[in-house]
Amino acid sequence: MLSDASAFRQMTDAGLLEAAAGRNHAAFGEIVSRYHQPVYRLVWRMTAGAADAEDIAQEAFVKLWQNPAQVREAGALKGWLMRVASNAVIDRSRRPRHGDLDAAPEIHDPQARPDAPLDRSEAAKLIDGRIAALPDRQRLALSLVYFEGLSNIDAAQVMDVSIEAIESLLARARRSLKESLSAEWRELLGGLTETGR
Amino acid sequence: MENGKDTRLDQLLASYGADRARWPEAERMRDGGGNEPAQADAESIDRLLSLASTVSAPADAMSRLMQRIAEEPQGAKVIAFPGGSSPPRSRVFRYAAALPLAASLALGVYLGAMGSLDFMLPTSITGGVALNDEMPDDLGGVGEADAYAEESLT
Repeated sequence: MLSDASAFRQMTDAGLLEAAAGRNHAAFGEIVSRYHQPVYRLVWRMTAGAADAEDIAQEAFVKLWQNPAQVREAGALKGWLMRVASNAVIDRSRRPRHGDLDAAPEIHDPQARPDAPLDRSEAAKLIDGRIAALPDRQRLALSLVYFEGLSNIDAAQVMDVSIEAIESLLARARRSLKESLSAEWRELLGGLTETGR
Repeated sequence: MENGKDTRLDQLLASYGADRARWPEAERMRDGGGNEPAQADAESIDRLLSLASTVSAPADAMSRLMQRIAEEPQGAKVIAFPGGSSPPRSRVFRYAAALPLAASLALGVYLGAMGSLDFMLPTSITGGVALNDEMPDDLGGVGEADAYAEESLT
């Protein structure tokens, strides 16, 4: 039986899932090391860096651990994790929260100081915030394809939509983003202050 | 292509941006031309997106996750067959088991209604009650309840 972590590094996702189904923590650890970063980044992007981004990403892996056999196609493991995580984010955003500070995005809007010139980190926060404000499906499509580099086919599988729908969501997301940043457009594209670049 | 303008190229620019490396592989070699405004627009949105934060998970997030996994029990082990799910059966096969049940029910109702099987049943069911003139005055001793109650009082 394989017990060395380096041996698991050579294994396919299918082999790792099978080993994980046999309660092999080292095999599951390899799955985590392969996919935790992209899943976390997706959740972070979808939640605008909310405090519970780590918890949501964690839940996707716990669900996998509880029953690895629910992944029908081992080749689509990354997509499965991203789907579970993004569904959790969307469920979270639809859940009514009264007075819960965690619900507030961590990213502040630099527009609160309209007269101050934006530096690079403020511009990043502004754009992160506007991406997070996009409708769920547009934000998810943009996060999967632009930020995580998934192909349109893989993104369509994650979102369970057609490739045409993915392209439409991407186009709408990019257009919405441009419109939402119309006030800062010139400054963002040409006039960022030197500080923090 | 419409008036020298490639509408698919416009769609690609609007969806994936100006960087052809981000386009679907099969369409990266597509000839451009007549789409300069869309190209410029896509480039500017790409520049905005490139300003977004670069994200990475906290350094100890993975170890926290593995710690949780160590405490988490696994559910029922259901191993999927490698060949995937079995092909769906046709409707005829799906309802095959119900046919004899339905037929026996219909036969039973028919025979019962015709009385054809009454000879097989005990007389107490087929007419015993009706023929019995000596119906009890009371059923289950309920009528004696008052007597018991009076006795207990005296």
